[in-house]
Parts: sequence; C-alpha cells; structure tokens
Amino acid sequence: MSAIFSGAPPQDGLGYSFKQSPTAVPSGERQHGFYPYTDNGGSTLGISGADFTIMAGDTRSTHGYNINTRYAPKLFKIGGEGPDNKGARIVLSVVGFAADGDALQEKMDTIVKMYKYQHGKPITVSACAQRLSHVLYNKRFFPYYVHAILGGIDEDGKGALYSYDPVGSYEREQCRAAGAAASLIMPFLDNQVNFKNQYMPGSGTGHDLKVRQAQPLPRNTVEDLVRDAFTSAVERHIEVGDGLQMMIITKDGIEETYTPLKRD
Amino acid sequence: MDSLVARYTRPAYEEEGQSHQDQQELSRAGPELSLKFALPPVAQSASWLRAMTDDYSNPNCPIKIAHGTTTLAFRFKGGIIVATDSRATAGNWIASQTVKKVIEINNCLLGTMAGGAADCQYWLAFLGMQCRLHELRHKRRISVAAASKILANLVYSYKGMGLSMGTMCAGVTPQEGPALYYIDSDGTRLAGNLFCVGSGQTFAYGVLDAQYSYDLSDEDALELGRRSILAATHRDAYSGGSINLYHVKEDGWVKHGFNDTNPIFWETKLNKGEFSNVTSELV
Amino acid sequence: MEVLLGITGKDFTIIAASKAAMRGATILKASDDKTRALNPHTLMAFSGEAGDTVQFAEFIQANVQLYSMRNGMELSPAATANFVRGELARALRSRRPYTVNLILGGYDTITDKPTLYWIDYLASCAPVPYAAHGYAQYYCLSLLDKHHHPDISFDQGMKILRMCTEELKRRLPIDFKGVIVKVITKDGIREQEYEDDVKVVVP
Repeated sequence: MSAIFSGAPPQDGLGYSFKQSPTAVPSGERQHGFYPYTDNGGSTLGISGADFTIMAGDTRSTHGYNINTRYAPKLFKIGGEGPDNKGARIVLSVVGFAADGDALQEKMDTIVKMYKYQHGKPITVSACAQRLSHVLYNKRFFPYYVHAILGGIDEDGKGALYSYDPVGSYEREQCRAAGAAASLIMPFLDNQVNFKNQYMPGSGTGHDLKVRQAQPLPRNTVEDLVRDAFTSAVERHIEVGDGLQMMIITKDGIEETYTPLKRD
Repeated sequence: MDSLVARYTRPAYEEEGQSHQDQQELSRAGPELSLKFALPPVAQSASWLRAMTDDYSNPNCPIKIAHGTTTLAFRFKGGIIVATDSRATAGNWIASQTVKKVIEINNCLLGTMAGGAADCQYWLAFLGMQCRLHELRHKRRISVAAASKILANLVYSYKGMGLSMGTMCAGVTPQEGPALYYIDSDGTRLAGNLFCVGSGQTFAYGVLDAQYSYDLSDEDALELGRRSILAATHRDAYSGGSINLYHVKEDGWVKHGFNDTNPIFWETKLNKGEFSNVTSELV
Repeated sequence: MEVLLGITGKDFTIIAASKAAMRGATILKASDDKTRALNPHTLMAFSGEAGDTVQFAEFIQANVQLYSMRNGMELSPAATANFVRGELARALRSRRPYTVNLILGGYDTITDKPTLYWIDYLASCAPVPYAAHGYAQYYCLSLLDKHHHPDISFDQGMKILRMCTEELKRRLPIDFKGVIVKVITKDGIREQEYEDDVKVVVP
C-alpha cells in the first residue's frame, strides 16, 4: 500500500527479471565478499570531425584519495605493429577500472591484429566497433568495469566515434565524454560541439528563434575545446589532472600529443 | 603415486598468457555472437551481478547500466506503427539523448528496446542472425511468430541471471499479415494489437487507448504514435530526447523521422492548445 | 489502487473518487464516498492510510464550518486550500502525521472561477487545471494533457472524465468499483449520475 505514496513509477510491470532470481542464500558454505573492482578515476573524451577524430584522456590514476601515478595512459592505439603500434588507425580509450581497461585493450589489440593477419587488410572501424561490443557483452554476467570509447576513420574517410556502456551497448556519436568528470564535460560538449541550446542571432525572439544547426568543426577548434574541457574539469574534479594525452587520428596516421595539466 | 604426481604436476607457465581456448577464440575469423559468457567465480553469480549492477536495489552500485524508456507499437489496418523515445539513463544521469531504440532486425522485421540497452542490442542482433539462417535453410522468410519465439526461448534460458529487456517484435509476412509480439526477459511472450513498454508505458497507454482503432488511416496512426510518445516524454522523467517513428508495411518498414521532442511539444501546445497545465505564470 | 480525479472547465469543477473501500486483498464496501463537502462551494476528495483519511477530512470539515459560523461568511476555496495545507504540514511535523492525499475542488464565487488544488500527504499544494492521485496519475495525466482545455463546457468535461475512467477500467489490474462524481458550480455542490457498468475492451 505504501507504493501509493512513493513518487516512483509502479514497479510491478516495469522491472524485469531480477525479482525472479532466488533471494535465499543456499545453506551450507558461505563465501567471502567478492569485490574485484576499484575505480581508478580519470576522464576521457572523444570528438569526431569531418576527416579526423580526436581522442583525449588525462593521465592521472587514483585509488580513493591517493594518486597512484601521474602518468598512466588511458588511450591505446589498437592493431598496429611493434611496441609502438606503428600504422594503427584505431584508438581505444578506457576509463573506470584500469586493470579491466588493460585487459580489454590487450584483447582488442590481439583481435585487430589477428583480423589483419587472417584477412590481409586492416579492420574497418565499424567492424571493430561491433566486435568491441561483443567482447564487452561476452562478460555480461561478470562485466568489465569500464566505459570505452573507440575512435577512427570510417570507409568514407570521415571521423568515426563509438561509445560504449560497461556491457557493450554502443552508438556512433559526434562527441562523448566518459569517466569521473563526464558530468562536467558532457554538457559543455553538447553546447560547443552539437550547439545544443544555441540559436541564430537576430532570428527573432521567443518561439521564432531558429536553432543553430550543428556542423563538423575544424581541427584546431576541436583541439582547443578538448584542452578547455580538461583544464576546466581539473579545476573541479579531484580525480582528474596531471597530464592530458591526445591522439588525433587522420588518414595519414595518429598524432600523439601530451599537455601538462595542474598537478595538485 | 603416479596419480598423485599427475594431480599436482602442471606444465610450466600454464597460467600465463592466454589459454589454448582463448587463443582459438581470438583466431576465429568473423566476429561472433557467442553463447559462451564469462561468469564470476562465486556460487551465486546472479545475486553478485545484482549487487554490482542493479541501481534500483543498490543506488551505490559501481556499474550503472543504461535503462528507462517509452516504447510503443500497435497494429492497424495499414500495418504496424512502432514509436519510441531516445533517452538512456544511468541512475539520474542522462547517458544519451540519441539512442536508436528501434532495432532493424532485417528489412521487414523491427524490434524495440526497453530495459538494458546492451541486452536488447545484442539479443536482437542475435535474433537477426537466426532469422537470416532460417531464410538460408528454408528458402523463405521467417514468420514473426517464429522469430519472437526464438527470442523468448533464448531469454527464458537465461532467466534469473539478470537479463533485463522488454521488447516488441513487429513485422508483416504473407502468412500472418501484420503481426506484433511482446517478449520480456521473464519469458513472457504475447501476441497482441497494442503494447506500450517501459517506465513511461502508462502515459503512452493513456493517450493511445483513447483514440486507438484498427481502422485508423496511415496519417492518423502515425500522428497517434507520435503524440503518445510525446505524452510519455512530458510526464516521465526517464523518457525524452527524440521521437523515433516507423511504419511497418507489407513490403517492409518505412522510417518516419527521428525528431526532437522540444519543438514538437511547443507546436502541440501553441497550435492545438493542449498541455494547459504548462503556464508561464507563477502562482 | 484508490482513484481520485479532478477536472476544471469554464464554469465548473468535477471531482471523481473510486467507490471501492479496500483493506488488504478485500473490498469491504463498493459504494464508499471518499469526499466531504467543506462548505457550499468547496469539496475535498481524499485517499491514503485507512483511518487517517476520514479523521482528517472530518476534522477539516468541522473547522471550516466553524469558521463560517463564527464569521458569517464562507472561506474561499483558495483560503480553504491553504488552511488544509497548513494543517497537514503541522501534522507532518508532529508525532503522528496524517498520511492523506487530497484533491480540493471548488468554485470561487468572488472571482467567478472554478478552482482545483492538488495536495499530497507531504503537504505540497498546487493550483492545477486537472489533477489525479495514486495510480490514476500514471494513466490519466497524459490523457488530460492532450484533451483538456481551460474553457471546456460541462458536457466536454464529463466526456474527458469518461475517457479517464474507461482507461482505468481497461488497464488497472484491480476493480475499483466505479467512481462517485460530484460537480461544484456557482450554485453549489451536486452529485452527478454516472454510469459504471459500461463494458470496456482491451485492444
């Protein structure tokens, strides 16, 4: 009866499966708590343009209030050759639990390399994106605690960006921020990349206002946006800082840059 | 003694790197939709997963899975209308406003997405694969009844493991005509004329039931679908973004746009005088 | 599963309340009246915790009538709503609060306008053109959003109410035994005849 007074929607018909699972713990052996996850903080973001994609992430790794290291990259070139991943055209960024992130990066690297050896051609971003979704979903019942973003250049030479939830639902987008400061960065990106809540100046007042249509941004504008997003996030989030790693994927390859961020 | 030795002897480096099985899996050619899932090393994997991912029973759970939706589909003389919103939420965070909740299984079958986004995406893709295999094996298209049953049986086999999906399969086939099925992760499978699924379902039902009739014209049916989703996005905070509209006909489905709700809301309010509770006056 | 609905129009306010009195899995009475007239132009419908509802409603009724007797004039609907809200808020901060949801329909004879107030057990109070409490909110508000206009006639109002009750009959899993309908106009409060045995089909 108390459900009448709660503001929550009626739960009866809406929540699916969990109710049915056995609630009683079987008698007999008891297990230690199993908690294989930790949050290593940090943030990543990706923005795709007309003929490039920029991926970025800070390099701080935290555990609670402790800083483990000031240089732990969250950006990984996938499927290149040798230790430097020469010739790679796809970048994977992972944020969340660093060990799961590393495991995922290694797995994707192997998959993309095997694809090239078996097919004699590099994998397309769309195929790689779908495969990453399946890799994540294969651990549906023991998830990777990561938010992944995949960036590259698609078959038409346009910038491609795919974002994922921890169990592999994915979507192609113009921009995406993930990790600790996602809630700080994403609204900024909505406004500056997709021009959300922007209107054409002088197009009228009230309901006559014309919305400003989003269009692909030039590369230097996007680079500035990324730096602004991170310097601002550093100011307001304790888990973000130390350094900004950026990878710019174009048809000619991947350019990597490192910009110091505040270290406090 | 030999058995003891055999029991405690292991080849060097067995635990390092990938196992033989892992390597086999990695070297397989195509990306596959596998039915082999990693499980956590605990006895109660389902309750463990709930502790980690179910933000309703545990708001501090570490892994937030995208949820929350309004989807609807109804049968009428001109085929089937399928409409959804486009918002994905993880707790109170709006994870995305541009989710495609209508999943194109093939050019005449549509599925909708409510509940876990990944569950729906993955299993409807899996269903697409099964439908194509059916076509190749039997040289004719699969019926909607059969397709929905594949999905229902599949999710039923995972019952209690924590899958969360409420989906509708809509399609038109020569044998069945327009056919609509509701399938959820509890294992329910229902044929019907009209379904709304998700946190905003009741609001959509309210508008839809009042004006629904099997003899609706194509234009009226599309408008009713659009208006029902708009009603739900207005009243349910977990629904919003854009309205995704599809019309399924004899010769396949037709997409009728992916439109932002905000201008549609103001158009409806100002031109038709609806939503009279929304005022600019402060009391 | 109790249903409370309120709709205002050009010169009237309609209040509808379900007739079932439920305790656990039993319907004790199928002709319950969940409304009380506070004065000739204000009607209060209530739902919530058994016992609290009628106690609170009759307490309010007595006090509003006392006001009329002392001052020789009616309390306006707006004043009544604020008084009710105040009493609920005071109780909320006491040792045992009332768990009651209310809809307050009225007709303001001074401004010559129908009024409707939505009040919940946490003493939120809002003037609204249409209102619902309990599960009726989830089914009826979207309907009212679409079909309500501020200047509808009484017949149109009843038609919209019919849509609401039919939807509830169609989709609510428990039979609420139909609704009692009361109308407040400038002439006062009257009960409206309402057909409850209409068959509703689920499409």
